[in-house]
Amino acid sequence: MTDRQTLLRDLIVLLGLIGWALVLPHYGSEFAVSMALTCLMYVALSSSWGLFCGSTRYLSLATSAFFGIGAYTTAIGLGQLAWIEVITLGSAVAALLAIVMGAAVLHLRGTYFAVLTFGMAELIRHAISYFEKSVSGTVGRVLTVVPEMNVLYMTVLSIAVVALVLSILIRRTRFGLALLGIGADEQRAQTLGVNTPLIKVLGFAITAAVAGAVGAAMAVRWTYIDPHTAFNPFIGFQTVLIALIGGATTLWGPLIAAIVFSVLAETLRLQAPQIYMMSLGLLLILSVLYLPGGLASMRWETFRDWYRAAKAWLKERRYELSGDKERDKQRARRRRSV
Amino acid sequence: MRFGGLTAVDQVSVDFYAGELVGIIGPNGAGKTTFFNTISGVLRPTSGRLLLAGKNLTGQRPHRYAQQGLARTFQTPRVFTDISVLSNIEFGLKFAGRRRKRYWFWGDETSVPWALRDAGGILSLIGLAQVAQLPAAAITPSQQRLLEIGMALATRPKMLLLDEVAAGLTEGELEEMARLITRLRDELDLVVVWIEHAVGTLLRYVDRVIVLHQGQKIADGKPIDIIHDRVVIEAYLGDEVLELGQDLR
Repeated sequence: MTDRQTLLRDLIVLLGLIGWALVLPHYGSEFAVSMALTCLMYVALSSSWGLFCGSTRYLSLATSAFFGIGAYTTAIGLGQLAWIEVITLGSAVAALLAIVMGAAVLHLRGTYFAVLTFGMAELIRHAISYFEKSVSGTVGRVLTVVPEMNVLYMTVLSIAVVALVLSILIRRTRFGLALLGIGADEQRAQTLGVNTPLIKVLGFAITAAVAGAVGAAMAVRWTYIDPHTAFNPFIGFQTVLIALIGGATTLWGPLIAAIVFSVLAETLRLQAPQIYMMSLGLLLILSVLYLPGGLASMRWETFRDWYRAAKAWLKERRYELSGDKERDKQRARRRRSV
Repeated sequence: MRFGGLTAVDQVSVDFYAGELVGIIGPNGAGKTTFFNTISGVLRPTSGRLLLAGKNLTGQRPHRYAQQGLARTFQTPRVFTDISVLSNIEFGLKFAGRRRKRYWFWGDETSVPWALRDAGGILSLIGLAQVAQLPAAAITPSQQRLLEIGMALATRPKMLLLDEVAAGLTEGELEEMARLITRLRDELDLVVVWIEHAVGTLLRYVDRVIVLHQGQKIADGKPIDIIHDRVVIEAYLGDEVLELGQDLR
């Protein structure tokens, strides 16, 4: 497929998905809409995560911090500001935080970067808890004026679409190429003229802006917000898991995985919450072992290869268990002694 | 250049002139690669200055060095293995080698040598045109070394730093590489600095040799003078190098 054809395909798939998401509230039950909302939230979070972290291979665990910052912006500002303004402000504050944070930690790589981003997310969470307790003397905040479900759904949908469009477009620009170059070999990219510190901070800020916007929008789903729900690290982990299982470097991987996950989450969480968490872990292990490129890297050939591998394995076991292997060994030994 | 208490390259001062092919030799651990890392911006020197055509580049980030026309290769080929050979070349053309568009209908570039105008030209210059569409992981190691040079050329350099580009090549490939390097100097009018352990070949092609030993410059001169230099013979080359004398200028 040429470049143009891929772009066309991506846009058509995106349009189809948008249409589907748009009509869902008209025929779906309330339960289906709430499930779709969760799904869209994770689509936005994990595709924007994949946009930066997937291509540069900087594993960031700070998503929950950006999400929480967005949520808190809503909690504080929703009374005074309009809905759109609140979302924009939330995403701007998160992006700003990412620029500061990125400038501080983006020269680290690998595990150090992951641990430090997680540490910073925890630091922010505890700082805000402390602020609530000792300065403003509250535990959390109650949202009184909340926009309707329909408005919320449309907002999250548009954020998800923005995240996907960004992923589609950035892949085709010099910026996207620079991100890929950083992921492949940062020093080499640098000596070929890529301003890596700037590119990394920008990419991190884009990821954070989307996460902040999602947080700002989703905050109204809970009417009561305290630091421990807003900065729930599980949101950050689940984003990373979804992106990794779907294929962090691919465009549609995070989307596919987000759909699989939200369906799994909603069906299993109510009946058996432990099984849900276990299946998350199991899926991650399986995908790392057998599908390192993620769900999106699955092709017919993948299934064919699995089938062949399974057949070969069975044949080997049969050879062993039927005693043929042992007999062959003895025969060989006898032939040697003659 | 110091690392903690260790001084890896100690007050080496060198001038490179346009159109010159300079070899750098020295025993293992002499600081050749560290010297390269320092003058290509990968490492920030603890003291000293670097001027490129009168411009002070000391302490700048590596991408500024690349934009100013200083390109380098790495000792082990560091090509982008996931993408095609052609895209590897295009990477440099899109960043440091990018031509600023000043206005619409901007004509052909005249300031850039013909061979460096597009990725195809660079590929045929280094002789990899037939594998252009293959992923860079699929070509042989010696082709990857050529691709390294191609990627560096794609930044449209004025000065090219080659770090052991011929390591692990066969005798024939080595000669070919040396001929390519002299061609680059002649046709593209580059300053080429070449680190190599294959001293015999290196000495036959270069105009000037710099010998490093334990982080210090112990000699700097024409190959024929270098092989008769007592200090160099003691430190690195040994007596048998004198037999090379008849091939040299």
